[in-house]
Amino acid sequence: MVKRYVLVSSDNEKFPTERKVMEKSILLKNMLKDLFADDDDEPIEIPLPNVSSSVMKFILEWCEHYKDVDFEDDEDDDSKKSAPIDEWDKNFLNTDQEMLYEIILAANYMNIKPLLNAGCKMVAEMIRGKSPEEIRKTFNIVNDFTPEEEAAIRRENEWAEDR
Amino acid sequence: MDINHNRSYNIGNGNNHLSNHNILHKSSSTLHLQQQDDQDTEIDDDQHAFYSMIKERSQNRTGSIASEHKNYNSFSTSSKLFVQNSSIMKLPPELLLLIFSFLNKRSDLINVALVCKLWADMVIDLIWFRPGIQNVATASEISEVLKMPRDQTYWDYRPFIRRLNLSFIGANATDEFIQQFVGCVNLERITLVNCSKLTHSSIYKLLFGCKRLQSLDLTGVRDITDDIYITLAHNCPRLQGVYAPNSQKITKAAVLELVRCCPMLKRIKFSECSEIDDDTLIELAEHCPNVVELDLHGCNKITDASLKILFAKLEQLREFKISHNNNITDECFDLLPNEPCLDKLRIIDFTSCNLIGDKAVEKFVVKAPRLRNVVLSKCVNITDASLRSLSLLGKCLHYIHLGHCSNITDFGTATLIRNCHRLQYVDFACCSQLTNETLRELSTLPRLRRIGLVKCNNITDEGINALANSRRTFEDTLERVHLSYCIQITLRPIYNLLMACPKLTHLSLTGITAFLRNDITKFCRSPPVEFSDHQRSLFCVFSGRGVENLRCYLISIFDDRGGSLATAILDGQHNAVQRLLMNRPINEADSRSARLMLAARNDGEFRAQLDGSGARPIAFIREPIAGQNMENGRIPAEAIDLFNRLNYFRNLVPQAGQAPHQQNQTSGFPLQTIQQQRQQQDQQQGLAREQQQQQQQQRQLNEADNQQMDQDQDQDDYDEEMDED
Repeated sequence: MVKRYVLVSSDNEKFPTERKVMEKSILLKNMLKDLFADDDDEPIEIPLPNVSSSVMKFILEWCEHYKDVDFEDDEDDDSKKSAPIDEWDKNFLNTDQEMLYEIILAANYMNIKPLLNAGCKMVAEMIRGKSPEEIRKTFNIVNDFTPEEEAAIRRENEWAEDR
Repeated sequence: MDINHNRSYNIGNGNNHLSNHNILHKSSSTLHLQQQDDQDTEIDDDQHAFYSMIKERSQNRTGSIASEHKNYNSFSTSSKLFVQNSSIMKLPPELLLLIFSFLNKRSDLINVALVCKLWADMVIDLIWFRPGIQNVATASEISEVLKMPRDQTYWDYRPFIRRLNLSFIGANATDEFIQQFVGCVNLERITLVNCSKLTHSSIYKLLFGCKRLQSLDLTGVRDITDDIYITLAHNCPRLQGVYAPNSQKITKAAVLELVRCCPMLKRIKFSECSEIDDDTLIELAEHCPNVVELDLHGCNKITDASLKILFAKLEQLREFKISHNNNITDECFDLLPNEPCLDKLRIIDFTSCNLIGDKAVEKFVVKAPRLRNVVLSKCVNITDASLRSLSLLGKCLHYIHLGHCSNITDFGTATLIRNCHRLQYVDFACCSQLTNETLRELSTLPRLRRIGLVKCNNITDEGINALANSRRTFEDTLERVHLSYCIQITLRPIYNLLMACPKLTHLSLTGITAFLRNDITKFCRSPPVEFSDHQRSLFCVFSGRGVENLRCYLISIFDDRGGSLATAILDGQHNAVQRLLMNRPINEADSRSARLMLAARNDGEFRAQLDGSGARPIAFIREPIAGQNMENGRIPAEAIDLFNRLNYFRNLVPQAGQAPHQQNQTSGFPLQTIQQQRQQQDQQQGLAREQQQQQQQQRQLNEADNQQMDQDQDQDDYDEEMDED
C-alpha cells in the first residue's frame, strides 16, 4: 500500500504511515473514514499537535507490530482488567517513567485502548505490593499528610484490608 | 462509541489534549456531551457507573479534618494543594484512576491512598465503591467508621458507596446496622437478600435521596410495605430493577405509583401481591415499555384482558412468570399475530394455572419460538399434544418442568426428547403414566444435568440401568436425580448410576423401601425440621458428600477389587497395591471405582477441581496421590507408577494379553508440576482475589439456589406423601 498519509508531530517531523497502521488509533481511523475517500491519491498531512516526534516513533512502532491484530471491541470487562500484560508489550514499554507517561498520554489522546491499558498496567505493576513510602520513592512524590491524617485514613479503612 | 461529531475538532485543536474518547472524560471538555448521553442510556453497565463516579468525585467532598484539603473543586484547579514535582503527576486524574483501577487488591488501594492527598482523594471511592461486607466482623467495622461524627473522619464516606450488598450477613443485618447507611445518596444497587430481620421503616429510610438507585433486591425480606414502594417511586426515578417477592401487604395504589414514577423499570418481581389487577398491569405496560423480566407469582386477580395488552406492548420481554392463577387462558396471546413475535422471550412459567392447556402451549410455541425454559407444572390439563408443540422449540429448549401433568405418556416425552436434544433440566414428577421408556429416551440426552421423576412409580430397575449404561464417560453431565417414591427401584441399579455419573451431587430416594435401611440412610442428610416423625422415617436424600460416601460404601459392597485398590492407595499400602495390580489386569470398571473412591475420599481439593473448569479425570487422581502419599516431599515411585496405569485406563479398555505394567513407560509424574501449579494458583489468587471472592460468592449463591431447589423438592416429596396419606 502506498504510504500517502503523513502524520506530523508537534515538532513538525513527518511520518509517512500506511493506513492499516494508523487505524490502530481509533481517533485517526474515524477521521479517515469520514474525511477521506479511499480513492483519493493526494498525500494527506495529519497534524497531531500533542505528540512529539520521539513519542510518535514509539506509538507507530507499536501500531506497526499490531497492524494485523484485530482488537475486538469488548468494553473492557473484568477478565481484561486482571489479564497480565502481554510479554511483547512489557518489553516494549520497558522504558523510563517519563517516556511511559508520554506514551500513555498519547495513547489516550489517539484512542489506542490496548496500548493505553498496557501502559497503565505497567504503572500499576510499579505500585502493586509496595508500602506507601516505597510508592512515594518510586514516583518521587512528597508526603503531604500530617501524621494525624495518615492515622485517620488508616483507621477508617482498616476494614477493607485483605484478610 | 462514536465520536464522529468531534473528529475534526480533535485533530485541529491542540488544547483539547487529553481524555477525548470513550474511556475517560473531563467534564469541562466539550467533547463529552455525547458520552454523557451514552451514560444515561447504558447505566446498567458497571464501567459507566465507575466513570460517572469519577466525574463526580469532586462534588462529593465536604468538610474534613484536613481543612485546606477541601478547598479545591476539581483536580485541574488544585490551587491550595501541595504541588507535587513528580513526573507521574502530569497524568490527568482520569488516567491515574485508570491505573489504580488495575490494582485489584484493596490493600494496594489503601497504600495508594496513603501516598499523598491528591491520590488519596482519587482512590478512596474505589475502596468504598462496593464495600465488601463478607461477614459480621467487617460489617461492624464499617459500622464503627460510619458512626463517627463527620468532623472526626477524614472523608464523608457515605457518598462514596455505590453498591450495598448485605446478603452475606443476611439475618444478622439489623435495623440499627442498616441505619448507618442512611445518607448514602449515591447508592446504585442495594441487595438485601435474606435480610429477614429488617423492617420496612429502616429500609425506606435508606432509600431517601437515592436518586441514582437502579436496583433493589428484597428477596427474603419479610416486612415489605407500601412505604418502600412509595419511597422508591418518589426518590428513585432511574430504578430499573425491583425484586420484592413477599409483596402480600402491598396495595394497588402503591404499585401504580411506582410504575408511573419509574419508567425505566426492567426487572420486576411483585410476587404474592394480590391487589395487582388488570388496571395495574395495563398501566405497567404503558409506563414501563422496557420490561424484560416480570414475575407475578401468586397475583391471582390478573386475567387475559391485561396479559393480552402486556404481551403486545412489552417487546423486550424475556422472562414471564405467573402462577396460581385460574383466570388466564390461551386467549392471553390473542393480540399477537400468529407468527414469531415474542422472539426475545426465553422463560415462561405458568405453574398451577389450571386453564393453561394444549391450546395455549400451541400458541406460545409459535409466537415465542426461542423459549429456553418452560414451566407448566400443575397445569393439569396438559396432554401429549402440548409436548408435541413444545418439540417445535427444538434445540432452544433447555429446561422443562411438567410436574403433575399426569395426562402425559411415554409417547409425548419421546417426541419432546428426540427433538430437543439440548435439554438440561427435566422434571416429570407425578406423571404416573411414564415408564422405563421415558428413562431410555432421557438417557440419550448428552447435556442432561437434572432429572426429576418423583413418584413415577412405574419406573423399575431396568429403566435406571438403561440410564446408567448410557452415561459412562467421566465427563458425564448428570448432577441431580430425583427418584423419590419410585417404589420399585432397588440398590444395585442405583450403584450403577452412581458409578456412571461422577458429577452426581444430589440423589433423592425418599419413600423407597429398598433404601430405608440404616447402613444406607446414615449417608443421607437430615430431614427438614418441619417434617413429622413419619415423614422422617421415609426421608432419604443424599447430597454433596453424602452422595460420595454412599458411592464409596456401595463400592465396598459391590466392587471389591477397585475399592480395595483405592483403599490400599489411600492407606499407602504399596505392597497391597502391587499385588492387586499384578495378579491380573485391572479392567475399566476397577479403574473407575478406584478413581471415584479416591476422588470421594479426598474431599477439599477434589471438589475444588470438580467444581472448577479442570474437572478432568487425570486431575482426580493426581491430587489424591500427591496429597496422601507424600513422603519427605517426594511422591513414592509406586504411586507414580499407579497413577500412570490408572491414567492409562482412563481412556482405554486394556487389550487382551496386554498386561498393564507394560504401559507404564510414560514419564514419571513430577512433584514439581504440582508445586508449580500450586504456586500459579497462589499468584492468581493474589492477583485477582476479589474476583475470586466474587466467584466464590457466586458459587455460594448457586449452592444456596441448589439447596433451595432441594428444599423445594423435599417439600414436593412431602406433598406427595401428604397426598398418599
